[in-house]
Amino acid sequence: MDRRNFIKYNIIVTLGGLANPIFAQGNKPITIAFFVKNVTNPFWKGCRIGAEKAAKELGVSLEVVAPTKPDNIEEQTRLVEDWIVKKPDAFVFVPVDFKALVPSIQKVNKAGIPVVGYNNRMTDVDFVSYIGSDDELIEYEASTFLFKSMGGKGKIVHIDGVPAASTAQARKKGLERALKDFPGIELLVSQPGQYRRLPAVQVFENLMQRYPEIDGVVSANDDMAVGIAEALISAGRANKTKVIGVDGIPDALAAISAGKMFATADFSGHDQAYLAVHAAVRNLRKLPVPKEIKLPIVIISKQNISSFPSTPEERSVPSWDKTIASQK
Amino acid sequence: MHSINKTHLLKYSKENFFILSRILSILILIIFLSIVSPQFLGWNNILNIFRQASIQFLISAGLTLVIITAGIDLAVGAILGLAACLSASLIVSGHLGLGIVAGLISGLFAGALNGLLVAFGRITPFIATYGVLWIAGGIGYVFMKGEVLHSFPPGFRFIGTGILFGIPVTILIAGIILVILHLLLHKTVFGRYIYAIGGNPIAARLSGISVKSKLFYVYTLSGLLSSFAALVIMARVNSVDSSIGEELLLPAIAAVCLGGASLFGGVGGIAGTAIGALILALVINGMNLLGVPSFWQSGVMGAIILGAVLADQYGSGRSLIKS
Repeated sequence: MDRRNFIKYNIIVTLGGLANPIFAQGNKPITIAFFVKNVTNPFWKGCRIGAEKAAKELGVSLEVVAPTKPDNIEEQTRLVEDWIVKKPDAFVFVPVDFKALVPSIQKVNKAGIPVVGYNNRMTDVDFVSYIGSDDELIEYEASTFLFKSMGGKGKIVHIDGVPAASTAQARKKGLERALKDFPGIELLVSQPGQYRRLPAVQVFENLMQRYPEIDGVVSANDDMAVGIAEALISAGRANKTKVIGVDGIPDALAAISAGKMFATADFSGHDQAYLAVHAAVRNLRKLPVPKEIKLPIVIISKQNISSFPSTPEERSVPSWDKTIASQK
Repeated sequence: MHSINKTHLLKYSKENFFILSRILSILILIIFLSIVSPQFLGWNNILNIFRQASIQFLISAGLTLVIITAGIDLAVGAILGLAACLSASLIVSGHLGLGIVAGLISGLFAGALNGLLVAFGRITPFIATYGVLWIAGGIGYVFMKGEVLHSFPPGFRFIGTGILFGIPVTILIAGIILVILHLLLHKTVFGRYIYAIGGNPIAARLSGISVKSKLFYVYTLSGLLSSFAALVIMARVNSVDSSIGEELLLPAIAAVCLGGASLFGGVGGIAGTAIGALILALVINGMNLLGVPSFWQSGVMGAIILGAVLADQYGSGRSLIKS
């Protein structure tokens, strides 16, 4: 423990002791270090709210840990090290990069702190349980939904995320798999939008010049998809092109309701995080926890949007028992 | 006074040289792209490129002035983000005018903080503005808490998406800012002082220029211009999250340097930056039209930036390093 961490550790223990009488008496409540990738994308806000709901329900204390620089590998590595020192009862973890964080999580394993993973799978580490769905599957299902609605034929454009990001690569693979199932769909081009709205809009405006006919757009996330839908409206091409995204962020839900955007695929960070905190606490309380929980992917389009609350606060929480029963 | 005018004239002719060499490289790019991509010279595509270049120009405009003083403003993106967060939150709650003013004032204050630290606190611009980058970004995070604000009123969106006399409003706005800043740099005493400070701060001080107050104004103006760019971007993309200003800094520096400004100060101009922004927009547009694979794009961009700057070094008899 270097000096900085030592001081931090002491401050936290002291403050914890002052704030919580039970803690001071040595009857330590369960503390969970809950990781998110950033505090800027609303997807992670949904995760945080799901986790907070679980913590409240179970009477445990939740510490949300996020890098100040979004998705920063170096910073998350440091945060993990800091938290090994603080020794929470469990980690509920999502890596900003599924490969780069492996050595860090191995250290957590070595320190004997149980880890529940969610949202992004990792290999060569020991997870008590993994709750999530994978990026490849979600883009596969989103693309399939789009292609079916196009009658299995037409021309599409793919707007990629950050090309080097593992999530973007997995999502692209999902799209490629769906393209194999639909030989009538032609991929015109795949260009990077960096998961961000401004670059995605500009790239798409350029592509509209080259391709006067685009029947569908597969966007690697919703933030870009909403921008693309708006760019189509500005260009007077809104009715000709269907845009599909991933994440189910409030902005996209509003665009789908308004008929601007075709659909989005949601793997509910809210539900994942809620169940992940449950799994961590069940494990600490010596209750059985499955090694993996796969959450169903839900496609949200104009047909079913009315059943989706637009903010994570209003969402209902999943039932643990029902989720486990549906895993067959 | 006389000597200052003379050096200024010298810099000015150097600036003209850069602009000529840049126009040449733009012509080469245009000829190449119009041969390989038939859609390139379409009117809509040209407007597209200019609109994208306008946004890049607005982000880089304030930075240009700072770089001419031999400083750097690393906080442009962060200040832009902060201004966007503040004004978006007021605009979506129905206070359009107040939102715009609050955004601009936040940029002005953040820029003034940079100016205070650099001019009066005597902190190196790199460190001072790096600190402000974190502060402005941090306030944005705390303020937004992962929220995304979207759907601004159509009247406001006009500055980002509207069309006037057949030309996108964004381009007109960038044009106006370009003219104002060009006049400021070349037709006012303040402008001459900016070059003098960048060229040789000691000589500038000895010839009676109050270097500190001028630097303070330059950083403040840079902050204000960043917050102005924030409004245009907001109107264009119709949504704001706290990360909106991230990753805008490096392209902004690239546009300024492509425009012939030297990081050592005293050299460069706002017209050059407009051209630099245009080159960046042309390259991205070209890569999109040609369908250059994602993984290659950053490499191509880097090669073009380096190529252009290297061509200057040799084309101008390496005068950049010696000055």
